[in-house]
Amino acid sequence: MTTEEIKQPTLYQSDPLAVIAEMGMHLSLKMLDEMLLIRHFETRGEQSYQQGKVWGFYHSYIGQEAVQTGIVNALGADKNYYATTYRCHALALLLGMTPEEGMAELFGKQTGIALGRGGSMHMYTKNMYGGSGIVGGQWPLGAGLAFSLKYRGIKDEVAVVFGGDGSVPQGTFHETMNLIKLWNLPLIVVVENNGISMGTQLERTIANPPIVENMSKAYGIKSYSVDGMQLPLVYDLFKKIKEEVQQTCQPIMVEVLCYRYKGHSISDAATYRTKEELERIKKLDPIESFKQLLKNHCGFTDQEYETRSEVQKQRVVKAVVEADLAPFPDVHTLEEGVIIP
Amino acid sequence: MREISIREAIREAIDEALAKDDSVFILGEEVAQYNGAYKITKGLLEKYGEKRVIDTPIVEGGFTGLAIGAALTGLRPIVEFMSFNFSFVAFDQIVSNALKIHYMSGGRFKVPIVFRGPNGAAARVSCQHSHNVEPLYAHLPGCIVLAPSTPYDSKGLLKAAIFNDNPVFFLENEMIYNIKGEVPDHDYTVEIGKAKVIEEGVDLTLISYSRMIYFCREVVEDFKRKGIFIELIDLRTIKPLDVGTIVTSVRKTHRAVVVEEGHKYAGISAEVISLIQEFCFDDLDAPVQRVCQMETPLPYSPPLEAETIPNPARIKKVIEEVLIGVK
Repeated sequence: MTTEEIKQPTLYQSDPLAVIAEMGMHLSLKMLDEMLLIRHFETRGEQSYQQGKVWGFYHSYIGQEAVQTGIVNALGADKNYYATTYRCHALALLLGMTPEEGMAELFGKQTGIALGRGGSMHMYTKNMYGGSGIVGGQWPLGAGLAFSLKYRGIKDEVAVVFGGDGSVPQGTFHETMNLIKLWNLPLIVVVENNGISMGTQLERTIANPPIVENMSKAYGIKSYSVDGMQLPLVYDLFKKIKEEVQQTCQPIMVEVLCYRYKGHSISDAATYRTKEELERIKKLDPIESFKQLLKNHCGFTDQEYETRSEVQKQRVVKAVVEADLAPFPDVHTLEEGVIIP
Repeated sequence: MREISIREAIREAIDEALAKDDSVFILGEEVAQYNGAYKITKGLLEKYGEKRVIDTPIVEGGFTGLAIGAALTGLRPIVEFMSFNFSFVAFDQIVSNALKIHYMSGGRFKVPIVFRGPNGAAARVSCQHSHNVEPLYAHLPGCIVLAPSTPYDSKGLLKAAIFNDNPVFFLENEMIYNIKGEVPDHDYTVEIGKAKVIEEGVDLTLISYSRMIYFCREVVEDFKRKGIFIELIDLRTIKPLDVGTIVTSVRKTHRAVVVEEGHKYAGISAEVISLIQEFCFDDLDAPVQRVCQMETPLPYSPPLEAETIPNPARIKKVIEEVLIGVK
């Protein structure tokens, strides 16, 4: 079975231009800036890795920027609870981590968002509960975030948990789907399907795709599927979902079809994918396609785009310089905070 | 003073914590409508309702992870494992999330959670249902491990655990649930990290915890009749260990034996003995010995079961060896 033969889910449809009109130029440009920040951050982060200044496992979000950018802007960054996987830099940036705090964490420095203790896979910021390094480990944690909202009677917030297609076969995924439906927890489950579980294509990991369309039926959970390369569609769907969850106090499952341009992690040369396939994917680029929409319909120009991209790039370059100059954590702090006194 | 059982003492601790703080809740298999597999939670559903006394499906990984998520956002969950053997199904959630997130997040989030339930061998429940989990969890930084032996300590330590901000393992033992002891009416807690000298002596220090304390008491009484006075220490807290109490005693008696219900290899007794050699090397008159579960999965057949876990006869024999040359 080739990738093309996998049954695709019915995708959420909406008029991107109408969505952009509703978002307005201010929000559209904010989201464009955020996607650019993520891309420059990952680019420079990987570059620093190649220079021997960042170590360990590094999972890039390049290619998937529209997904979490659209979702966080639709739901709101200042409230709601979020949890994700080790591919966590983008979500942390979207929820308020500064590029300086993020880059310093990658560099293992004292000024890092987790004091240099977590590294690339474990970023935490306000309303963001990881950064979970074990595939599928974040699913029940997400249920707990939603449980907490319900327990405390908080009705104007939702919990969101992200995971990849590779974590769907784990038992925790199915345990969590059962629990959130059984207990009617306000959790939005987002399966970011980039088609490859580390290096193994979806047709060799998932018995009965499409993932969410089929599995949601087993648990009686309402579901949607959406093209994650198109920012307006993601944003529009999650605006709608937020209202639904708040009204019904029921979980919702969403499959977001997306692509990662890089290997699973930095050490993965992605030999399981042909150059032609990657070139085809890159034509769907979420930043480029959003830029085209703004250009063709909102009077946005290439020059404006370059200027904005340069601003984000310079933010990241500054963060790299600062991370490089920042001190490593004092080894005397090593044992601090293991146990709370 | 009134006397209640360990079972009742644990129930009272949970009851009082639920009454005191709305952020406390208990969840697990059969804890609500069934009143608990071991009736620890009897009557709590009626008193606090299904919002706070929560029956879960049989899904340890799922409900443990859920409780950790709830703890991260400020609630204080008590997770009941019907037996600690089932905590292995939730091992990744416990190890990778509960024990890591506070440190790994640079101290941003804390995980105030209690994992509790019966630990160790029960009676004839065979290989998969008789584990002593304390060395597995105590090995990992970022947690507290408690294993009291009396009703007083069970209630006082559990209340301290529920209002502690760290992940706490509270290890019970089915075989001693019905043992009674004095428990005051007034509100109290027992400080975490403090061992207790429960029998003073001069000839040898005997160190143990949980159910094994009762076997040790029997042996201590036997020796007393022969004019040999053994100091018995109940660790109560396994992590962090109360090094001071252990060292003070061994410096006085110059001999020590550690009794552990679980296996010998890389067990709690190995840790205690290592600390004794570190701090009391010049004080010792004999090598420190240990009595532990033999290196077998725990078999079903009664004579085999009775032999593999430490028993008074084995404890006595080892103490006699260590006492050679005394009196």
